[in-house]
Amino acid sequence: MLARMEISLESLKRTATLAGFAWTDAELEAIRPAVQRLLESLEQLEQIPLGSIEPTTQYRVL
Amino acid sequence: MGELGRMIATKQVSPVEVVRVHLDRIAALDATLRAFITVCSDAALESARHAEAELMAGKTVGPLHGVPWAPKDLYSTKGVRTTGGSKILADSVPSDDAPVVARLARAGAILLGKLNMHEFAYGPEGINAHYGDTRNPWSADAHRVAGGSSSGSGAAVAAGLTPGSLGSDTGGSIRIPASLCGITGLKPTYGRVSRAGVLPLAWSMDHVGPMTRSARDCALMLGVIAGYDPADPTTSVLPVPDYGAALTGDVKGLRVGLLRAHFTDAATSDVRGAVEAAAKQLEQAGAVVDEVNLTQVTHVAAASAVIVASEALAYHAPWMRTRPQDYQPDVRERLRLGVFVNGAHYVRSQQIRALLTREVDEALARRDVLLAPATPLAAPVLGERETTLGDGPSDVRAALLRCTRPFNFSGHPACAAPCGFTPGGLPIGLQVVGRPFDEATVLRVVDAYQRITDWHTRRPAAA
Repeated sequence: MLARMEISLESLKRTATLAGFAWTDAELEAIRPAVQRLLESLEQLEQIPLGSIEPTTQYRVL
Repeated sequence: MGELGRMIATKQVSPVEVVRVHLDRIAALDATLRAFITVCSDAALESARHAEAELMAGKTVGPLHGVPWAPKDLYSTKGVRTTGGSKILADSVPSDDAPVVARLARAGAILLGKLNMHEFAYGPEGINAHYGDTRNPWSADAHRVAGGSSSGSGAAVAAGLTPGSLGSDTGGSIRIPASLCGITGLKPTYGRVSRAGVLPLAWSMDHVGPMTRSARDCALMLGVIAGYDPADPTTSVLPVPDYGAALTGDVKGLRVGLLRAHFTDAATSDVRGAVEAAAKQLEQAGAVVDEVNLTQVTHVAAASAVIVASEALAYHAPWMRTRPQDYQPDVRERLRLGVFVNGAHYVRSQQIRALLTREVDEALARRDVLLAPATPLAAPVLGERETTLGDGPSDVRAALLRCTRPFNFSGHPACAAPCGFTPGGLPIGLQVVGRPFDEATVLRVVDAYQRITDWHTRRPAAA
């Protein structure tokens, strides 16, 4: 298995800008480890076989 | 609360006297505990005098006539600021009560004030940079967390500053402080209680419910606040049962599943021992206990983080663009993470949610309730980042959320109640999980347990 690439400051900045947030390099650098952990956990979610399971869009409101 | 209500109704005590005693306790203890953000002394005393006059005229308005209470500071209260534990809403004064606040007022309850919380309910420790960190009343030197996000509710009920509270629970925010502070807290089924007028953290995971000293008081409060509300389209039209009548004290023949892997087996040895002992006591009382594992639960932490991060950022985006400096640092960081989650992640997480919900339903098809720790550890020290659980090292925040979050994900009702103490004198919390809209059985089991134990009657020395 290939080692996961570390997320760059540039990628963080691009994503934040696309979402409409103007965060400084220092602010982005501060959250970089947490984003890295988040992306790793999302990668694990991708491995779960979910087939045709319908997502929960509404609770059992009776 | 029920006992106070009876004593007031039969004129054994005056509501003015009861409110004054609670205000005196707040004045004496809250500088250390920091459980309250706002105290409504004058209004509470005025309401108490009015309640007393009504009583003397032979009128009682409801089961909580003259009984004081205080909600977490994210419930809208007419004319009383509702901060959400934030600087951003420090001066926000709602023009109406949240429907559940109005229901409690109609039942005669008297608002003492508003309780501290993790800022915007986004954290399980209950820390707050703006109004002070709530301290756990069981910690003699006041250096342990009360648990969050409803930290003020947990500390205030435990220390006797209020007999009851309403908290909110997105990943465990009622049950975590209930567990760490040694009180009883119920997260009802999603849709059982209106969330209208309550500041959201994540709409699809938020639940509101009572925090009191006993299952009986939770039943009393739930009976008042539960039911359909046109202001919250997710509330159910199912009739509200008489929760008090369900508290028979009898668990004979009830099928109880002790949740093992991820829950009891992952707890510290003190917690594991206390929860296993509780299961044994229920068995001795006539319940049929077996063991059960939920395999899908391992995905819950990541998937629920995705859902909460997405929904929370959707609500907070305008302030995160204009006033990011006004959030406390840990909350600001969590909100920023929402930017890096995309739509596909969100939908995938909702698929995992469907899987877990199905699995919990299947476990409860053959059992009446499930049993687990409410938290796998007792109250951590303020600022503690790492801990060790039964299955190894863990981040404190993840550890606190570990046993409660699955049932926000699935929407099942779950109640936390004290089931022992560590050798150091910190409370240990049990969690009872039930079928959707079957809060009556959950409360029946907790009440039966509280009839054969006295953990819920113990008080911290400070109180």
